Amino acid sequence: MLRGTLFGGTVAIGLPMLDAMLPARSSAQAGVAPKRIVFWFTANGTRQDVWSPPASMDLSGHPMHASLAPFSQKLLFLDGVDQDVAYDSIGDGHQTGMACLLTNAEILPGSLFCEGSCDGPTPQYVGWGGGQSVDQYLADEIANDIVTKFRSLEFGVQVRSSTVWSRMSYTGPDQPVPHREDPNQNFNDLFGDLDTDPFELALIRKRRRSVLDAVMVDHEAFNRSLGYEDKQTLDKHLQSIRDLEARLDVAGSIGEACQEPTLTLPGSSFQQNDQYPVTGRAQMDMLVMALACDMTRVASIQWSRSVSNVQHNWVPLRLGEGHHDLSHYDDGNADSQADLLEINKWYSEQFAYMLGLMDGIQEGENTLLDNSVVVWVNELGKGNSHTRRDIPFMLAGSAQGYFNTGRHIDFGGEPHGKLLVSLTHAMDKPVSTFGLPQYSQGPLSGLT
Amino acid sequence: MRPLRLGRHGQLSAALGAVLICGCTGLIGSGGDGSADDAVAKELCVVDTPIRRMTRFEYNNTVRDLLGDDTNPADVLPPEEEVAGFNNQAGALSTSDLLIEQYANVAETVSARAITNMGALMNGCDPATQGNDACALSFIERWGQRAYRRPLEQEEIDRLKGVFDWAVADPDLGTFEDGIQILIEVVLQSPNFLYRPEFGSDTPIEGDVVPFTSWEMATKLSYMLWNTMPDDQLFEAAANDALLTREQVGAQAVRMLADDRARDTIRNFHKQWLLLTQLENVTKDTSIYPAFDASLRPLWEQEIQTFIERVILEGDGSLETLLTGNYSFMNEELASFYGDDVVEPVTGSEFRQVQLDPTRRAGFLTSAALMATHANLNQSSPVFRGKFVREQLMCNTLPLPPNDLVIEPPELDPNKTTKEQFEEIGADPACASCHSLMNPIGFIFEHYDGVGQWRDQQNGKDIDAVGEVVQTDDIDGTYDGAIELAQALAASTQVQECVSSQWFRFAYNRSVTQLDSCSIEQINERFAASNFNVRELLVELTQTNAFLYRRAVVAEQGSAQ
Repeated sequence: MLRGTLFGGTVAIGLPMLDAMLPARSSAQAGVAPKRIVFWFTANGTRQDVWSPPASMDLSGHPMHASLAPFSQKLLFLDGVDQDVAYDSIGDGHQTGMACLLTNAEILPGSLFCEGSCDGPTPQYVGWGGGQSVDQYLADEIANDIVTKFRSLEFGVQVRSSTVWSRMSYTGPDQPVPHREDPNQNFNDLFGDLDTDPFELALIRKRRRSVLDAVMVDHEAFNRSLGYEDKQTLDKHLQSIRDLEARLDVAGSIGEACQEPTLTLPGSSFQQNDQYPVTGRAQMDMLVMALACDMTRVASIQWSRSVSNVQHNWVPLRLGEGHHDLSHYDDGNADSQADLLEINKWYSEQFAYMLGLMDGIQEGENTLLDNSVVVWVNELGKGNSHTRRDIPFMLAGSAQGYFNTGRHIDFGGEPHGKLLVSLTHAMDKPVSTFGLPQYSQGPLSGLT
Repeated sequence: MRPLRLGRHGQLSAALGAVLICGCTGLIGSGGDGSADDAVAKELCVVDTPIRRMTRFEYNNTVRDLLGDDTNPADVLPPEEEVAGFNNQAGALSTSDLLIEQYANVAETVSARAITNMGALMNGCDPATQGNDACALSFIERWGQRAYRRPLEQEEIDRLKGVFDWAVADPDLGTFEDGIQILIEVVLQSPNFLYRPEFGSDTPIEGDVVPFTSWEMATKLSYMLWNTMPDDQLFEAAANDALLTREQVGAQAVRMLADDRARDTIRNFHKQWLLLTQLENVTKDTSIYPAFDASLRPLWEQEIQTFIERVILEGDGSLETLLTGNYSFMNEELASFYGDDVVEPVTGSEFRQVQLDPTRRAGFLTSAALMATHANLNQSSPVFRGKFVREQLMCNTLPLPPNDLVIEPPELDPNKTTKEQFEEIGADPACASCHSLMNPIGFIFEHYDGVGQWRDQQNGKDIDAVGEVVQTDDIDGTYDGAIELAQALAASTQVQECVSSQWFRFAYNRSVTQLDSCSIEQINERFAASNFNVRELLVELTQTNAFLYRRAVVAEQGSAQ
């Protein structure tokens, strides 16, 4: 049974129905679970002075990561990996930290967003990120092998706005990818078909296909009448309809890994600050369920956005300010340092929660976590200096043994583009460089 | 540290006409290749806008008016890209797989709801007596015209009839209602519904500059002034081709501003311009502000929005009243929050107009909605308040703190006032260049505590609400309290032109470009001539060449890939 609380009511979905679901087209071979990759974003840097693990990798007494102790042998802590590209790019610290994070590309010139230091008679404006992000590259490559229900899933927890500060995934230059932020809607979109009679579901899909066919015919005539720039916009719109149609019949492939989750949904208040933990928890529950059901191979969950000013009132705070405000105090301020530790410790606990879900799902000899790599990313190293050096990158899961986990490596200043290259290798879609070549000459050495 | 220079978003030089406001990309016709047509467009101040896609707000309003569906179904769509302060900027709104997936979901639920009231859809046609085909065809022509906001071409009618025919012939569907539902579902995903294409008429007035068709003008007017589809009168005017001249367009604008739908637009604009979107996250330390309760937030918003809407649509409409009016709208709960500032008794939960103490409150500027938002959890914030005035009312662009600057705000000190504490930071040379622009303006608001209530003292000391305003075009000087400042702001050309440029961006769905100089000049002149009446400003925004004309579209040949 899938079970959840939807808009205050209880949702229960009978599992027997699942047997009748169509499997993913060219689903994974029996016994060979697919690899998955998940990006996990938190904002405003970290407490770099306490972030690293001890040499023993025993995290049980760690001030920030104690909750990750059960998974320490499945983790890779990366010190000394820098976003060099962010220092070449136009844009302020948070903008570059965010838009270059998964693209390793410079921000595009443009007139959309005021750069932090814009002043004077020639204000500095920037556009969107300037390249495809590595998650979207992998989604494209994997889509050539298999059509999953979703090409990729981008979950957000109170991201809210759509700006260069809030988008890390790009299908291409100037093409930001929005998030699924409403857990209630998410539940419907991901699992809504499951409680429908298979015969009825087949009819619904036939109907949806016919509707989309008619819409596409309309689009083709419409798009032909437009001038160049408008046609670019509308052609992209049309391509998304084609893609949606191609995935209509695809369900998740159902196996024992498709576990029964218990969800608590936040109702319509999911954007309220105090609902942040509940919303995040629901999103993680559904993300892991979607992976277990092989609805996608590529996913991300973004907590708030760069410059997040979420008030983490559920952890003990001394100053009681928003996250970004707290991150701007001097390192010598004991109160803000204590608060930042509490906040990052809380995120570490959330990370541990999701890893626990993934590690609890057995897929043959491996767990879902073993078959995946979860990449914890951040737009900054530390908030008050806006440094984009020594970003607190952490990997969890070995991607079926590709990464040699249970270690802490200090790279002493390698460009983060090489980490992105490593991820393409881990997912068996290797590239030699990703984004700017000068900052991505091959994978990081020593990870495997 | 870089020397600080102030950006001047809304500033206009009379000699140059306009400065670049937010830069521009790809908004200017077919690029400056120096052709004769470019010269004509430049001379006439005609600047094209990228194709507009409906915002969630506009979608919700449109299905309300098209189908009577008031469930706000578009709320599930991904948020609009926010650029230049607004979420309706045509060049910034992008599409994504998620958006298109959700369009399909929304169309499915809206169409299913729509056919539960077939009577309203059929407009008297009874398929049982008049036949499925006749009723379907009349529905396609009549309702389709409302949905596409223009008459359908025969090819489109045939295509939609084909969709209907398929549905009623399908053994798994089969009913007349199924056919209508599918039709609605298709139309709600059509680019003709979701976008606002504007091609202009075939006959140039000069060069390649063409007027909009009357149908296009009806849609331009309704989405600009109502944020929704045209009403019957606009459609009728379009059908009579009576939306061609400046006078015809202006007369419609005047009529439309008297309609309740204009309220939606006024509120939508002010919610974004005055950053009321931030209100929902306002919270206070109740050990310091026991008066705070989360239930006050919607009351604060209702107060400021009601005040603004009444001034603009029913009052004298003037910017001066918006900034300095000594009345407001509240119910008993809100009035008791404001205490002595409300000079008459208020009972009951209904909002009504009340007189305020003119020595304490001035227009929207001193409302709790703004004072509480631009404050900290446990104290007022001269920085946030100064920043708000600079950026939103004066159209300055303030630099963020330098990338590597470490900032240390003051801790609460029970022996000092907030002003004294912030004066200390302001004196730090690392901060002074920026904070001298913000903090002294914020000091002028020190009579309003962190939750927006009036105070005469803080920590046993008298409030000192004196601040010096510097580096402005026309209001440099020392002010004692927000009442004085509000009057100066209302009389400031910089503020007046800032307001008009904000409305320009919101109404035209794009930033101001260098080629807009004559439009901006015309708008500002007329705004001034009306004694800065915002209602007149909105009408005037329909009177520029930029609103009335575009450059002929050169269709990009080749089929969509």
